[in-house]
Amino acid sequence: MFDINPTDAAPIWRQIEEGMRRMITLGALKPGDTVPSVRDLAQQLRVNPNTVARAYQRLTEHGVFAVRRGEGTFVADEPSQPKRSERNEVLRDASNRYASAAISVGATIGDAVDELNTSYDRLVREHRRKA
Amino acid sequence: MNHAETPAIRIDGMTVRYGRRVAVDTASLTVPRGSVYALLGRNGAGKSSLVRCALGQQRATSGNTEVLGEDSWKHRTRLMERIGVVAEDADAPPEMRVQQLADFCASLYSRFDTKAFDARLDRFGIAKQTRFGDLSKGQKKQVSLALALATTPELIVLDDPTLGLDVVARKSLFDEVIAELADRGTTVFLTTHDLTGVEHIADRVAIMNDGRIVLEEELETLKARFRRIRFAAQPVALDAASFRTALVRNWGAGTEAIVSNYDDLAFERLRSNATIQSADVSAMSLEEIFIAVAGEKQ
Repeated sequence: MFDINPTDAAPIWRQIEEGMRRMITLGALKPGDTVPSVRDLAQQLRVNPNTVARAYQRLTEHGVFAVRRGEGTFVADEPSQPKRSERNEVLRDASNRYASAAISVGATIGDAVDELNTSYDRLVREHRRKA
Repeated sequence: MNHAETPAIRIDGMTVRYGRRVAVDTASLTVPRGSVYALLGRNGAGKSSLVRCALGQQRATSGNTEVLGEDSWKHRTRLMERIGVVAEDADAPPEMRVQQLADFCASLYSRFDTKAFDARLDRFGIAKQTRFGDLSKGQKKQVSLALALATTPELIVLDDPTLGLDVVARKSLFDEVIAELADRGTTVFLTTHDLTGVEHIADRVAIMNDGRIVLEEELETLKARFRRIRFAAQPVALDAASFRTALVRNWGAGTEAIVSNYDDLAFERLRSNATIQSADVSAMSLEEIFIAVAGEKQ
């Protein structure tokens, strides 16, 4: 699964939403797979079930999850990717924070990009292993 | 009256005096139905007095307190049917066995759910024939929580539930609370010192200091507006950014400030100041925010 970081600037529901999207993109959750129930995920991450429900509701509204009445919640057959404008905004936001951290410790752009590459590869590898 | 629309708790201008000492000073707060509300404060901040008055165990000197739509003092007897309480020092006669305690509660509460009680005790791994006096501190809290939840209350009040518990007992207590939230959407009002435990489950928090509620809001909003900023320049550089500061101090040759109205644009203004070589901003945990707000005497 993924972890919740209390000192992350992003609220918990957004971290859950991001975590779920990441698992789908990397194949740890596939189209048609059942997603954990709100109760189970809340227990597992030790967060308020309302917060999980909020993330699930957004994922459903955005066509990433599909709810089948009486059966539960599934990954949509063709889970929608975020719109280009939305994706760019998320990237700009996160890179501002990252660039700020890099500059403050005196890292060169080269060092910063190397670290980013390493993190990207590690996340992909970890999820592939679990998939 | 529409119960769904009255808040679980509404305290308006509560003052509690003991002789000349003011324990609670015109405190107001609202606990929405279905929320998890954490009241934070250092020892002696007035939390316990406020909780006792809200539960009708004590009468406030002045102010209005409504619980589940009813006056908490006038209707205290019938309100107790609808509220589950886990007291700070969960206590019972030491000779009494857990089973006898459950029987006693079942005789008092028409809604007592024996099956749910037994299931919780099983999950906690506590035998019903154990004498209360032989339980560990954590087990006493667990029994107390199981008794409180078995009455299927509309509101559960936990007074420092994890005080003195080890990590494992703390985890199992929070697990039960999370399950209860998922299954029944019960409103939870708790006071605590365990800020990391509560950080993931609270919707709304209030901070009490010297008898006053100094802050009350959604946890998400609170965390969005507080940031720690560090920059290599003198504190006067902050003036350009119109930040409200909860704390400003030297940090090496530079400055560390905790700001309570953070926004990215203001930070950019600060960073673009010619005298600043570097500036860094970081999000804060609830514990860090609490220390900044209530930790040091102002």
